[in-house]
Amino acid sequence: MTPGAYRSAAVTFAVTAFFSVAAQASPAQDYMLNCMGCHGTEAQGVPGKVPPLANALSRFMRTPEGRNYVLRVPGAANSALSDAQLAAVLNWLAVTYDSSESADQLVAFTSDEVSLLRHQPLISVLATRSAVVRNLANTGPAPAARY
Amino acid sequence: MARVGPKSPHWVYVVDYAFLNEIDSRVYLFDGDTYRRIGQIDAGFFPGVNLSPDGKTTAVATTYFARGGHGTRTDVVEFNDNATLGKTGEIVIPPKHTQTLANLFTVAYSSDGRFVYTPYLTPAASFGVLDPAKKTVLSEIDTAGCTLVFPWGPNRVSSICESGRLLTVTLDAQGHESSRATSESFFDPDQDPVFAQAVPLSDGYAYVSFLGQVHEINFTQPKPVLRTPWSLVSATEKGTWRPGGVQIGAVHKTLGKLFVPMHRGGDGSHKDGGSEIWVFDLKSHQRTARWQVDTKELGDVISVQVSQDTKPLLFATTVRADLLIFEALTGKLRHDEKKLGQTPQLLLNP
Amino acid sequence: MHPLDRVFEKTARSLAKRTSRRSLLASLGQLLTGAALLPLLPIDRTARAQSPAAPVAKPTADEQNCQYWKYCAIDGFLCACCGGTSTSCPPGTQSSPITWIGTCHNPGDGRDYIVSYNDCCGKVSCGNCFCDRNEGEKPMYRLSRNNDVNWCMANSESNYHCSVSVILGVAEK
Repeated sequence: MTPGAYRSAAVTFAVTAFFSVAAQASPAQDYMLNCMGCHGTEAQGVPGKVPPLANALSRFMRTPEGRNYVLRVPGAANSALSDAQLAAVLNWLAVTYDSSESADQLVAFTSDEVSLLRHQPLISVLATRSAVVRNLANTGPAPAARY
Repeated sequence: MARVGPKSPHWVYVVDYAFLNEIDSRVYLFDGDTYRRIGQIDAGFFPGVNLSPDGKTTAVATTYFARGGHGTRTDVVEFNDNATLGKTGEIVIPPKHTQTLANLFTVAYSSDGRFVYTPYLTPAASFGVLDPAKKTVLSEIDTAGCTLVFPWGPNRVSSICESGRLLTVTLDAQGHESSRATSESFFDPDQDPVFAQAVPLSDGYAYVSFLGQVHEINFTQPKPVLRTPWSLVSATEKGTWRPGGVQIGAVHKTLGKLFVPMHRGGDGSHKDGGSEIWVFDLKSHQRTARWQVDTKELGDVISVQVSQDTKPLLFATTVRADLLIFEALTGKLRHDEKKLGQTPQLLLNP
Repeated sequence: MHPLDRVFEKTARSLAKRTSRRSLLASLGQLLTGAALLPLLPIDRTARAQSPAAPVAKPTADEQNCQYWKYCAIDGFLCACCGGTSTSCPPGTQSSPITWIGTCHNPGDGRDYIVSYNDCCGKVSCGNCFCDRNEGEKPMYRLSRNNDVNWCMANSESNYHCSVSVILGVAEK
């Protein structure tokens, strides 16, 4: 096999493992129906009003603190999506909308991890986000501090 | 200048959202016995309107643009003296007022009148806690995506969540959050969502679902307590006869009667006005009356409200913008006030 | 490019990302989940939104009719009756960056489509062709499906003028 083919095979395997949790639903459609109206067709958010998921979500997923934050934001904590659907949507978003290298090292959310954390929504979302982003910036690419 | 006159239990405040001219909403104070307009309170753009617990003040949460239809946006809660219908003051709030159609829970007072709550939507959800006496904003409380303000007691506010839960925040004496709790999910937002227009009860709120389930919640305990849900419709009626409209229920608290506009329809008909008004006994959950409405003549009924006295009137607005006045105990139509404004949708009774 | 054109174009491309590697991941992801969202081709030809500076083609009679199938969850004035079309805002108004979503049945081909509804903002109520339909619509705690709130809320000029509807693609399931 050529190096390119090895690389494609590795990517294929990674993606297979990554998406096996989402076999039953279409995360792209779940995103469209439940999240895209505010977070945007490119997961870009709205400056000053709606946080971007692009170039952000996969970075939050790099640390336990960041993952904790993501699962407890209003759109996740109180979403009508099931734990499994939410995991699938977040995983799909992280892979699809991040151009940074850290996207390759993503650890997928499982529905167990989601169940454990999402039912304690954050009390002060913006304050928590600022703190998490600051800490992330010390260890690699971080989401933009402001949006 | 004409005087407002002594307060009557048969007054009704009618909020007209003026769909064709939305920056020109207003509230009409109407006398249900003399069938006269007493006067008007101006209400801006997508207002929230509510009365103070003592009935003396009307609070209006709204948006104004500096140049009428455009320009710098200023959101305010305005206070109007119901004895004079004059504006007595305002609190400027962040430009985040929840701009939505007629709902009783887009501005509301604490039971002792010391706090006013007003939800924000940017689209992130939160609410403001205001001091109506000092005319200040005391705090802003994040609500984790949950919306609207259902107040109880002197210092508790609940919001309703997409997950089917209620978030309840308790405030301290300064109007800051002291604690919060989230209930179990009590309805399925996909299978049978509840109207966000909760129906006030003497001990809490009833959330009525699209298919006619009544979820009564007792708010007098430290945590909201769900009573066993009951149905407005029989098994054969379910799915065909449905509650619908804007202000989808009203309760006479001492008589324990619930009034609901009902229509025949399917999925997507939850805003349809009713061709009938059904009356229920809150103790037995039995339907005690079923009033036919002459919709050809009057239009479908979209909102109901009932006065709380011993000779109660049932007020209703229709899709034709008529205000109907029924005798609440018999269903007899006493008066049809034709075209009370443009799109009268919310009814408040002190 | 008109904001609505951008919405339509970018939605079509979101499943095939900027780099080929991302495209592969995205398309593999779709296949593996077994429920591919169909490529978002311009099924509805009028969804090619017009720039407000260019002359707008006269809206079809369908677009001015509240019963047009893609209006199944619209609430407000039809921009097609206000100087715009079913997908483009009238001159001098701005599209909302946030939208609500409906799932509408197209009797023409028997399929359900996902439709995104933007408000057009910055002027007073158009007042023409009021249309309020609520298939699959939900109360405001389910914000993505709610058409009661003013979706102009996040615009710098947040007055509400009229509403448009953009077809995003075929709904699965």
